[in-house]
Amino acid sequence: MNEHTEPNMADETTVGETAAVAATPEHTPSEHAPSAHPQRSEALAFAIGVAGWLVPGLGHALQKMWGRALGCFLTVGALVFLGVGMRGNVFSSEGGDAFGVLGYVADLGTGSFYFAARALETQGSDVAHAEGDYGTRFLAAAGVLNLLAALHAYEAARGRKA
Amino acid sequence: MIAAIALSLTHFQAMTLFALLISVAFGFLGRRRTNDRVKYIIWSLFLFLLIGVGIGWAMYPFSR
Repeated sequence: MNEHTEPNMADETTVGETAAVAATPEHTPSEHAPSAHPQRSEALAFAIGVAGWLVPGLGHALQKMWGRALGCFLTVGALVFLGVGMRGNVFSSEGGDAFGVLGYVADLGTGSFYFAARALETQGSDVAHAEGDYGTRFLAAAGVLNLLAALHAYEAARGRKA
Repeated sequence: MIAAIALSLTHFQAMTLFALLISVAFGFLGRRRTNDRVKYIIWSLFLFLLIGVGIGWAMYPFSR
């Protein structure tokens, strides 16, 4: 997924890195540069992280990192789709024990896809068979993966190399 | 709707699918250039499968 045409350029450049380049002596920073408003930049980065959590890939898409956005959306979506198809357990807030709570937190990591999974799994889970057990792992992995992607988008928005 | 599809996969198929999807996600997040991503995905997938099969093989004597 080459977003740039020059062969030696990186495939994706973060918003923060672009701001860092603009702040070099060759590029005189203006009054409206992101570094001039650190609180605003931090709030924007936080909003990007939350967006990335709510909709997998949106945090990267907002920073025009299209390859990563598409990759996150498709992989998280595929994991949720397969997990539900294998009748994995979609945990609810009424889990009860510690494992139920952990599973709920992991499943919530998929953001809006959690509600899609609950809506799609009309027949309930079937963890008595290996497929259902695998499905539960797929769903939890999708959530944790999306949290990692959202954190990545947040760090990229803050200007950390990503 | 989707539950009617009723996916039925073997252990190896499920593990391979899981490894592939996670490797692709790690590759896209961890590397920026396309060539680096492809190399990372292939290497990560290989290690996932190697370690998964290795652990399964090591557990085999205790499975019965």
